[in-house]
Amino acid sequence: MLVTKPVADLCALLIDELHGELPSRIFAILLSKGRSTLPQLVQYTSMTPRQLRHGLAVLQQHNLLFYHVDPGAEFAFYEANAEHAYNLVRTGKILEMIDSSFGAPAKDVMQNLLLSGQTRISDLVAAYQEKIEQANKEAAHVEDDDDFGAEKNGVNGDSHPGKKAGPLVKSTAHLNSIICRLVEAELIDVVHAKTFESSQDILKTVEKEVMDKYFPAGVKGNKAKVEVQERIAEGLRKVRGESKSLKRKLEQNGTAAKRRKLFAGAGMSNGSHDEDMDPALDPRQVIRINYEKCLVDLRNRRLVQFATDIFGETSAYVYGVLLKLLTKDIPRCRADAAMDFGEDKEESEKDTVSVTTDQILDNLKTSVDLSLGIGKAERRQVSSVAAEKIELFPPKKKLLIEEAEVEGEASADEDEDNESSDESEYDSDYKAPTANGTNGVNGTNGAKVKFDESAAPKERRLDRPTQLRQHLLMLAESTQRFVRHCGPNEWTVDFVPLMNALREVELDSVIERTCGRQGLRLVRILRAKGKLDEKALPNVALMRKPELQQKMLEMQTAGFVHVQEVPRDLKADVKKSFFLWFCDVDRSLSRLLDTSYTTMTHCIQVLEALRQKERDVLETTKRSDVRGREKDTMRKEYYERYSRFLECERKLFAQVMRVDDLVSVLRDF
Amino acid sequence: MASDGTADDSVKLQILKDALYDEIKQHGSETRLFTQKDLLDLNIIPNNNVLLLVRVVQGLTDDKLLVGTTNHHAGLAWRWRSREEAKKYTSLPNDETVMVYSIIDEAGADGIWNRTIKNKLNMHEAVVKNCIKFLETKGYIASMKNVEHPNKKMYIKATLRPSERATGGPWFTEGELDTAFISELEGIVFEYIKTKSAYRGSHPHAGGGPASSSTSATKLPKKGTVTAATAAPDTTTTTTARGTKRSATELSTDDTSSPAPTRSSHKPRAVFMPMPAGYKHYPTVAEIAKFIHDTGITNNTTLGEADIQQLVDVLTYDGLIESVRVGRRRGYRVTRAMKQDTVPFHKRQKEREAGVGLDQPLVAGAEPLSNGLTEAPCGRCPVFELCEEGGPVSPSNCVYFLKWLDLEDLPAAVAPNVALPT
Ligand code: SF4
Repeated sequence: MLVTKPVADLCALLIDELHGELPSRIFAILLSKGRSTLPQLVQYTSMTPRQLRHGLAVLQQHNLLFYHVDPGAEFAFYEANAEHAYNLVRTGKILEMIDSSFGAPAKDVMQNLLLSGQTRISDLVAAYQEKIEQANKEAAHVEDDDDFGAEKNGVNGDSHPGKKAGPLVKSTAHLNSIICRLVEAELIDVVHAKTFESSQDILKTVEKEVMDKYFPAGVKGNKAKVEVQERIAEGLRKVRGESKSLKRKLEQNGTAAKRRKLFAGAGMSNGSHDEDMDPALDPRQVIRINYEKCLVDLRNRRLVQFATDIFGETSAYVYGVLLKLLTKDIPRCRADAAMDFGEDKEESEKDTVSVTTDQILDNLKTSVDLSLGIGKAERRQVSSVAAEKIELFPPKKKLLIEEAEVEGEASADEDEDNESSDESEYDSDYKAPTANGTNGVNGTNGAKVKFDESAAPKERRLDRPTQLRQHLLMLAESTQRFVRHCGPNEWTVDFVPLMNALREVELDSVIERTCGRQGLRLVRILRAKGKLDEKALPNVALMRKPELQQKMLEMQTAGFVHVQEVPRDLKADVKKSFFLWFCDVDRSLSRLLDTSYTTMTHCIQVLEALRQKERDVLETTKRSDVRGREKDTMRKEYYERYSRFLECERKLFAQVMRVDDLVSVLRDF
Repeated sequence: MASDGTADDSVKLQILKDALYDEIKQHGSETRLFTQKDLLDLNIIPNNNVLLLVRVVQGLTDDKLLVGTTNHHAGLAWRWRSREEAKKYTSLPNDETVMVYSIIDEAGADGIWNRTIKNKLNMHEAVVKNCIKFLETKGYIASMKNVEHPNKKMYIKATLRPSERATGGPWFTEGELDTAFISELEGIVFEYIKTKSAYRGSHPHAGGGPASSSTSATKLPKKGTVTAATAAPDTTTTTTARGTKRSATELSTDDTSSPAPTRSSHKPRAVFMPMPAGYKHYPTVAEIAKFIHDTGITNNTTLGEADIQQLVDVLTYDGLIESVRVGRRRGYRVTRAMKQDTVPFHKRQKEREAGVGLDQPLVAGAEPLSNGLTEAPCGRCPVFELCEEGGPVSPSNCVYFLKWLDLEDLPAAVAPNVALPT
């Protein structure tokens, strides 16, 4: 992650928001000065070592710090972990995701983990134990069942979810099983010695190890260089693997996990399974949230949203199920160049991960009506050959607007001809609405089940697997390439080109919202055609010259298009020069990213200003006799101001997270 | 004898002139250039007598029936001119007028700028003006507009139609890009593609207008879609905010502007749905062109397939449609079918004429997508670059945010007289 000034500002603000001013100041200094030792920090901040240590400890606790001790050195180097600092903004989103896929108790556990940073399992258990006991004592009249950890968290605005009677987590066994499941899903991993080293430091250590061990005489030749890289990658993977030790241990007890899945269904919770089946976790283990994996799930959600925008809810739901199955074993969104060196090769040699139609079918909720959200077409109107096209390999390069393709248009009837001959082969796979009688087809073995024709319902209904396939095929045919039909009834997603498409869509919507449809038109023309002389543009865009020029200037200021001057002759007379417009998507995107950070910063600053303004009201709400009963105890006018403030706070935080959606797409997914 | 000889000679010359002229006309159009060798090879001039040829050609040139030019490749060469044209030349009163007329003639269908005439002939401006006036009243030349140089006064021979280059093709009316015509046609083409490339059906969801987001997924499970937010009150997620925000705007538009039946929440409501994969009938450019032709909207302009392609490309760049290849057929389909307005474009236009929905912009296609940046005031802020805590414009005194948060009324005093971004 590239730390620019906007993101540095934002991180400092976020830490201020969540952990207070002291850690925030130290963090900001670390970001601007780079890695520093304690004495250096004393010098930079003119704080006392005691204060600094306290601040550093807070940062450390929340994994916002890297440190590195050179062997024999007196002081450790501290370094800011901007990535994790930024991740603070995603707290709410991650909790929501956990809630929707693992249920409220899991969310509660995750929330505690987020608030307290990395935690020893025994501490977590103890805290819950206390709470559970207290809850039992107070019987059903529980008010505040999750007031664990300092609630300095501004994100958690108003009320608590635990209005139901009884604590969300019912017993320590329940807690244990929740943790087990989150670990299995890789959303929680283990803290180990290397967790606090920055990736560069780890790389350096591993490099040194490899050199000492395998190449004491130095590296000669290309082959050896490749080997070095492979060894380093291997070493790095080993380090990375350490945080998954707990998961591996759980997997050795695989039977339990599998049995549970059989009973409760994948991802279903609600305590319906037997908690005793889970192995007891080592209480000394320190666990923390694994943001990398959380991001994979967040990406799935974003893609589902994207599919909703393009196709509608039903297809998007199908897509969501597909993604969930597909990404179960994908540990992170983007491969790390150094770390995954060589792994790539293996990956492409063994087949890419894919999901079968049947798997998806098994995971669809029965309440979902798949006949919705897709148009009906007569059978003869559909080319099953084209629809069922199987693409074994991911696309070589992205083709967003397929301008490059040769226009080899054939007459329609010629097309039809070769179709009819092929049609029969595909009959067993694809069922379009035929005249009467429904052929039920089992996707895998292709055995036909004929129904009695007279009994067939009047309404032409497709059977469910066919409906499902229709959605999948439609997703595969989309210009954005949501899905690749990589084998008969097998589906996969090429995330890299798809995310590129999504990034462009995000950029496009910003352009369209700020510079209008004509602005978007011009940008997309440039994207399709490369560099264009200003004189050539009006003709393609069908726009008047003066308007066009104005638009281009407007967009140049906004960083969406760029201009290049090409002198006509050696004298380079400006008046005679050509001006070539072009658009550099990457440049626009990185600018967009900075704009996003700044926008988030502004939202938080606006909130801070509001807090200042409503200081007196907020002071009152902090009083213990008012807290929790604001409505009854405060004067009407005060209460109104208070609730208005809460509303604004909610809106602003919501906006920050909306902007984060964009940042995730641009940077992390 | 001598005089007889000359008379005889002139008769002979006249015969040769006519013969040569007629033969030349047989051999090519008015634009063909004939070299001396070409003329000799016509076998009119006896004995390939070059001197005689020169005299005949000179005679024809004097009669304005041949035009001499120097050509880079062939050297001196001639074109022929029709007798009527030649008569126009000979009827002109003086040399200046002839020169002006001939230079306009030479410019052909592209026309010529009056300044160029003056410079080329090196004549006084008043003289040129007079000549032009004379020629114009005679009806020999006409003024015209060139799209490439809209401010220049151009002249063209009255018998010619301005070239495509000069008029700019079918999209131009009197030298101006006819944006009204274009956008009307775009609307029609888009409507055609929309109805031909998406399935009009009904959706059982009760919901807002065609632009509503997925907030009303009653039948869908919470997973994945944005509805899950309600279960997580303390996270105050984006999605809830977005949901409520959306529905709020939805409501207000419903109340004020849109009595159109499809916009109110009928259930089931009509929607467009995307076609299944492999659909073979997405309209092609040829079909669109035929449709446009058949409707007869473009009565006095002829639009070829290339013109329609241009229009379709623009719609593609606008992101309203996309090209799909099914088999070997390249068709076009609407993007984001579910979000399209089910009321036809021309109906919306009628409504507007009746004064309905005027507060909403009438544009083809669905509302553009949005994201966190475009919704926040900063994403559209005119002073974004200057804004900084401690600077003259800063988040803590930001008026745009106050408006966005509906807090405007509070510090009315601080609001500067800057236009709010809309
Ligand atoms: S003035 Fe307001 S809207 Fe503009 S950038 Fe600053 S905070 Fe954002």
